[in-house]
Amino acid sequence: MTAYLLRRLPSLALVLAAASVLIFAVIRLVPGDPATALAGANATPEAVEAIRAELGLDRPWVTQYFAWLGGLLTFDPGRSYLIGGTIGSLITESLGNTLLLASSSLFLAVLTALVLGPLWAGTRKPWLEHLLTGINTLAVAVPTFVMGVALILLLGVLVPVLPSGGVPRDGLLANPSITVQYLLLPAVCLALPIGAVLTRYVAESLRTEMAQPYVVTALAAGVSRRRVLLRHALRNVLPTSLTVLGLQTGALLGGAVLVEFTFSWPGLGLLIERAITGRDYPVVQVLLILSVVVFAVLQLLTDVAHALLDPRVRLGGAR
Amino acid sequence: MTELKAQEAQVKAEPDRRPVRRNGLTHGRGLVGVVLIGVIVLLGVLAPLLAPFSPQEQIEGANLLGPSGTHPFGTDEVNRDVFSRVLYGIRIDLFICLIAVPAGALLGGLIGLVASQTGIADVFAQRAFDVVLAFPPIILGIGIAAITGTGVLPVVCVVIGAELPLFGRLVRTATLKVRELPYVDAAESMGASRAWVLRKHIVPNILDSVIVQLALSASGAVFILSAMNFLGIGVKPPEPSLGGVLADAMAQLGSNTMYAVGPLLVIVVLVLGFQLIAQGLLAARRGGAS
Repeated sequence: MTAYLLRRLPSLALVLAAASVLIFAVIRLVPGDPATALAGANATPEAVEAIRAELGLDRPWVTQYFAWLGGLLTFDPGRSYLIGGTIGSLITESLGNTLLLASSSLFLAVLTALVLGPLWAGTRKPWLEHLLTGINTLAVAVPTFVMGVALILLLGVLVPVLPSGGVPRDGLLANPSITVQYLLLPAVCLALPIGAVLTRYVAESLRTEMAQPYVVTALAAGVSRRRVLLRHALRNVLPTSLTVLGLQTGALLGGAVLVEFTFSWPGLGLLIERAITGRDYPVVQVLLILSVVVFAVLQLLTDVAHALLDPRVRLGGAR
Repeated sequence: MTELKAQEAQVKAEPDRRPVRRNGLTHGRGLVGVVLIGVIVLLGVLAPLLAPFSPQEQIEGANLLGPSGTHPFGTDEVNRDVFSRVLYGIRIDLFICLIAVPAGALLGGLIGLVASQTGIADVFAQRAFDVVLAFPPIILGIGIAAITGTGVLPVVCVVIGAELPLFGRLVRTATLKVRELPYVDAAESMGASRAWVLRKHIVPNILDSVIVQLALSASGAVFILSAMNFLGIGVKPPEPSLGGVLADAMAQLGSNTMYAVGPLLVIVVLVLGFQLIAQGLLAARRGGAS
């Protein structure tokens, strides 16, 4: 396992380093003077100068880059110019909301795949197969925010049973039953494409698995089809399904931005949207690097989990 | 003898892949996809003839009207005809797709080809793709929009940036795979030049996968560009775009339902249509291979 990690980590570090340089360059590539842009239209020349000094824009690029990186690594990434407060406090305020949304969505997605995947693979009713195929194609294709607006329109406006956005007034922890009402639509929305891809993968792998000799043997020995599917085939399909789920984390991160914006869910996605429209570059930079790191780490974790479950992956590169 | 003839017929039938590809689009899902995309393209192309109003014209006294004969999708919060805005929005969205997807495919394909031929270029290209792919597409869009500001060009850049590594990887892998095939090996050992092998064997072999990927990428591009417009970091208002109109409609769901339904339907049809075309092509290719 250590050898596997040692093989993976250098390339990960390289990618992250390159990404951090790119993201650092964002503020330098902005047309015009970043300090003027950050200070706003009505700022005095003194205020602009103060921002320039604070960001160190008069120092050499290399010094600036390492100062910025140092700030990131010591969890002191500077302050927000538009929204106010330190970037650290802005992130801690929003992080919990995003984590709640993302984990609920992942839970829903995995649950859907584990229930509908075997059902889809095991069914012998053509109508059910067609129905599941149709729903799946739609769920994969329809963009998260379009689904979000459609859900708000249906369940928030036309038949107003659920709140169409925002969070409960007393906070998310005050009353769980109310929180669930607010969480339901955004979580379903974010879960749909991920769950659909995962379900399709589980179903297709199960179908392949059901043609394997061991399945034929088990069936011939009188084990029920249902039992073979759920006890044997599903178990063999899970490790690679995990990798597919890991690859979907990109969709999860991008989707979170869109879903939070659609439902005014006050998480990191909404924060980055506000920062970008308000041209609050320091906040944008920190959130960009954060999402790249999270994306990379999640993918590494997926690969590690896959390697733990499947020795062929772990030893594959040793040849 | 008859057996031999049957075999001959089979051999003759096999290399001709054209009918297979066409079949993918003339029945089943592929056909549905072609019809869906065709209708939207037609609506976009004919927008100047079909749209009853200019997309930016503010009609006096027509504030957030519901659907009617004159305004099929009603009017928006600043008295513009939503139907006309959706029609013109299709034009912008399709225009971006039409520029960015082929550009991404061409650039990515070229890089992939070069990478598959030379070792050092391969290392560079692969690491560069890794870095680009380290950003989820929407996040990449936000990063690029942060530098360039809003407008059509940033959206085109984001779509190219998101699609380029996909085509690069696809072409590189497919090329390496084809080069390993015995008959390519044989051709090379007989002194065939790289360019000849490329033109004669590699390009025809990878064309199928590239065409499927083009359809998938078009679907992905509609997603990315309408998402950017929806977030307000794409096409500048008052220029209409499907995502932009949808975002404006979000605030008015209570007063004019059709305001949101129009752009919503068009985006779904576009994304779904391209997906169905890809599925149709893929199914035809699988069918043709077996």
